[in-house]
Amino acid sequence: MKIRFTRLFLALLSTGALILTAGSAWAEVRTWTSSDGRTVQAEFIGTSGAGTNATVKLKLSDGKIAEYPISKLSEQDRIFVKGNLPTDPAALAEEIDTLVMNKLKESYYGLQAELAALPTKEGLTPDEKANRKMEIDREMQMCVPNPTTSDNQFLRRIYLDVVGRIPTYDEADAFLNDRSPNKRAVLIDKLLNSEGFVMRMYNYYSDLLRIRDGLVMMGNDSLKVDSYMEWVKDCVRTDKPLNTMVKEMLTATGKLWDSPATGFMVTDDGMPLCNLSNTFTVFMGTEITCAQCHDHPFEEVYQMDFYKMAAFMGETVTRARGGDNYRNEVDRMSQILKAAGKLPPKVNQDNALSRWFGSNRTDVLDTNENTVRLPHDYKYDDGEPNMKIEPATYFGDKMDVTKYKTPREAFADWVISPNNPRFTVNVVNRFWKLAFGLAQIEPVDNLPGHLDGQAENYQLLTFLEEMMKDLNYSVKGFFRVIYNTNTYQREAETMTPSLTQVDTGTYHFPGPVLRRMSAEQIWDSLVALTTADPESVTRKGADRYKEVMDVAPASLTTADQIEKWKKEWTSVSRLVRNGGEEVSKDERVGGQQMFRASELRQPMPPDHFLRMFGQSDKQLIENQFTTGSSPQVMALLNGEITNKVLTSPDAYLIKEIAYGKGSKRDNIDKIFLSVLTRYPTSEEKTIAQSGMRAKTNRDMNEQQKMEVEAQAIGNVIWALVNAREFMFVQ
Amino acid sequence: MKELFNQLDPFSRRQFVLRAAQTALGVSILPIGAASIVRAAGGAGGKAKRGILLYMSGGMSHMDTFDPKPGAETAGKTQGIDTGVAGVQLAEFLPELAKRFKDIAVIRSMNQKTGDHRGGSYWVRTSYEKRATIVHPTMGPWAQTLLGKAHDTLPDSVVIGGGGEHPGSGFFGPALSPLPIGDPDRGVQNSHPYQGVGTDLFEKRMDLMNTFDQSFRRKFQTDEVKAYTQFYDETLKLMKSKDLDTFDLSKEKDYQQKVERYGNTRIGKGAILAKRLVSAGVRFVEVVSGGWDMHNDLWGEIPSTAGEMDKAISALIDDLKAEGLFEETIIAVATEFGRTPIINANAGRDHHPRVFSTMLAGGGIVGGQVYGASDEKGIAVKEDICNPQDFNATIAYALGLDLNKVIYSPSGRPFLVAGHTRDPKTDQIVSAGKPIMQLFS
Repeated sequence: MKIRFTRLFLALLSTGALILTAGSAWAEVRTWTSSDGRTVQAEFIGTSGAGTNATVKLKLSDGKIAEYPISKLSEQDRIFVKGNLPTDPAALAEEIDTLVMNKLKESYYGLQAELAALPTKEGLTPDEKANRKMEIDREMQMCVPNPTTSDNQFLRRIYLDVVGRIPTYDEADAFLNDRSPNKRAVLIDKLLNSEGFVMRMYNYYSDLLRIRDGLVMMGNDSLKVDSYMEWVKDCVRTDKPLNTMVKEMLTATGKLWDSPATGFMVTDDGMPLCNLSNTFTVFMGTEITCAQCHDHPFEEVYQMDFYKMAAFMGETVTRARGGDNYRNEVDRMSQILKAAGKLPPKVNQDNALSRWFGSNRTDVLDTNENTVRLPHDYKYDDGEPNMKIEPATYFGDKMDVTKYKTPREAFADWVISPNNPRFTVNVVNRFWKLAFGLAQIEPVDNLPGHLDGQAENYQLLTFLEEMMKDLNYSVKGFFRVIYNTNTYQREAETMTPSLTQVDTGTYHFPGPVLRRMSAEQIWDSLVALTTADPESVTRKGADRYKEVMDVAPASLTTADQIEKWKKEWTSVSRLVRNGGEEVSKDERVGGQQMFRASELRQPMPPDHFLRMFGQSDKQLIENQFTTGSSPQVMALLNGEITNKVLTSPDAYLIKEIAYGKGSKRDNIDKIFLSVLTRYPTSEEKTIAQSGMRAKTNRDMNEQQKMEVEAQAIGNVIWALVNAREFMFVQ
Repeated sequence: MKELFNQLDPFSRRQFVLRAAQTALGVSILPIGAASIVRAAGGAGGKAKRGILLYMSGGMSHMDTFDPKPGAETAGKTQGIDTGVAGVQLAEFLPELAKRFKDIAVIRSMNQKTGDHRGGSYWVRTSYEKRATIVHPTMGPWAQTLLGKAHDTLPDSVVIGGGGEHPGSGFFGPALSPLPIGDPDRGVQNSHPYQGVGTDLFEKRMDLMNTFDQSFRRKFQTDEVKAYTQFYDETLKLMKSKDLDTFDLSKEKDYQQKVERYGNTRIGKGAILAKRLVSAGVRFVEVVSGGWDMHNDLWGEIPSTAGEMDKAISALIDDLKAEGLFEETIIAVATEFGRTPIINANAGRDHHPRVFSTMLAGGGIVGGQVYGASDEKGIAVKEDICNPQDFNATIAYALGLDLNKVIYSPSGRPFLVAGHTRDPKTDQIVSAGKPIMQLFS
């Protein structure tokens, strides 16, 4: 029973029935206030539903139980209720499913009505009518929810989405043979708490935040990214609330190796205005770059607004002025090296030393001096060129900077404030896209000023927004709910949403969109085929980096000490196995370092497999791509990965099969399950068997036989990896 | 105006380009299939139908190549060599170019703002300052955007030996990316079946793949899946096509003799490949050659580095002339900055953006000229300052590109091929770069 709040209040007030009874021990009688200011005294009984659509059960003084939609309560009451709201993923997931289903139904009936009215509709030519009919037919098909995924489909997709790779044979086997009814929910939890999730989310964040080796866009690229990188991974691992994570990035002070969250500001070293634009794009889905030079052409953003916002960061610098004079130290050390014969004949100064010590000047700090001025060619009448500007916001909360230690802290609080209309929406919109392949509002980096009417499903979007707040910005919590929805667990859509559907937000999620794997998902899946435990090797360097940077130059007095320091610098980043043992650079499968993309160089060189398939160059926000190309196809047909790495006798899958005990037919099952996460049909099995026939003979030694067999098994693996079924996420 | 913008709003524009690319026919070695050919009529300026940029990465010392100062206290050991034009010398390390001086024009008054390799080379390649919010396109993709595709199946632009930070097609997107060639000797990566995989085995594997993939392709007939299937078909065609030979240096006529003339070096082979590509119909090729960042022992290194460049460019000029393509091909030599006239503690020179030199030839450029000058010590521009925008405007003009044609980025920001500025009189966006007309007459 849902009663509209205001009407109920009126009814209550008119009967004057506001006498209180003493509450029992568990219940609390308090004053409840509606969002429009009316009050009632009542006892809190409990809640039903979830998120914004939850209702609060109150026992009124006359003993009647009434239910109020939580959205009609004051903020204070909401906070009171919050602790009692269900955060049970299943309940929240159900609510999402209901909202999606409502939308699908509504759209279906809407289209049906339009179809019925079409023959008599005026102003359309017969051709236009025929075209529209086809469109409607197509869209109606996409308003019918897709069937629930089979265990195999679900398994493959959930691994790709949560841990960023396909399941290994053992993982697939374990899940498929599990008979427990809640095994999907259990698997989701397990994966969210695994290191694979950290790696997967790191790839996502590093594209969004442009995290790369060398870090800064211009100038001295001798900085090591390791501390920042490990900090981001740690945020995912410990499920640091996303609002806290963002605040730390925006307010961190100090040097990169002491205070890794400074990485966000350091990335745009020397370009504070670009950093502001990037902050808006990444954390608020708002494109304000154009307002740097002129008023935004189609949104309410004036050039003045841009500079008022920039003024919040105007006291912040990313490089210490003056500071220690490393030049003298570099000269002194160069002389020592020269005297010891450690420099080439004509070289008197070690440039590497000066670069490395120079990177020591990178330091994020606040100066008490606001440097933001209007540009020299400012042409609007609300300000003069070169005028000093005071910080002020142009939407959301008004901020009183005097209440903060630095204006930057006021800015950070403004960004993550629950009253910021963009912050939470941006997060949930981006995360929805990560799970479903398409956002609620596209494009994700340019949300319109008013969301109602623009969002695919405004009710759903606001529900997700409130849910994120209720979950206290737990990223794991959010994805746990999303992945537990029926909507997510449906089969991928077999048709392509049309451009109009994407632009107008009229694809209503009968299931996720079919997507090509990201470059990292492809690579990491190949890693899962070549190594027994794909997450066993991680990149480490933060601790060593700090040690190296904390060395006082003056303490290096001998050539040996200096040389040792240089060596430590160059070997800061290394790959480490779970146990802590360092991984040799020579540890390769078929000539390639087969470790997770998140642990390798960021980004890889342009001719690497990862880059060819669309790994971001980390120069721009979200610069990854999943479109196809001939070089990609050639790499899969003729490249080393499919011809040498996957078929190497050292590759895990080959080893398992060639040395394994199973019969040939079992081995084919194993290969199919490993590569495509499904068993072959009997027809496929027969064909695969013929493809795997190895031409060995008696004159061959064991090694030679092994290689020939690996090659034969490789034929089937090659064929499966080249299949579209491998590359696309169903 | 607003309506036009709305039609081109970021997502649909980007999606449109990508989708169009995915479903386009006639794809070949293109990184991504691009839209159909629209050939524009040649612009007012351009005799050049194609261009070759030889990019000297690291900062080419102007005083030891195109702008020697023999006798000046900053000259170091570098001597001059006569060019046949009275009063003009090149550095002694460029003997072949000195002989061909009547065919080349030298700009000695280049100037830009940053002494940072990445910022500087970005500025020179794109005419824009490096920003953290956008990547600007380079000349090849600009030419393709303004003129349409130059060839049905070959890519419009190729970068040979480029590193990881080449801006490539910038905001034009991956569909217009220059095809990267790492090693000129190896041609297009992975274009032949892996060693040991004969035709029979290759066919057998393809059969297996198509059988295994059947049911998936039947079920999911989305644009992306179909596009990939099409890429497979076209790549297989490509692997058998003649286009691939274009990238195969060993197929070049008299290859060994050419290697002798161009030099058995990266820049030498890069230049041979560049010539081969433009002859076949590729519009713009950039050859990147490193080793110029001579902080240490400059005179130990420059004879070979400059000598290799000298040999390669000279042979390239000779061959383009012999093939009758010289007048239709603009050759440009560029670098991010010059090097300090003051010699440092390591007998080297450091970064010096205040003045440096570049070179142009062919494509309507009248040779035997020097444009602009540095001061006596080579420290600053003395006359006729030329910034990277003017330099690119000159190349673009030679190629017949419309310098004032505004192209919007997906985020709706306006850009021009040689940088933009606002005309204070008309308040219109106009080209910041001005072509050096003197070089064409």
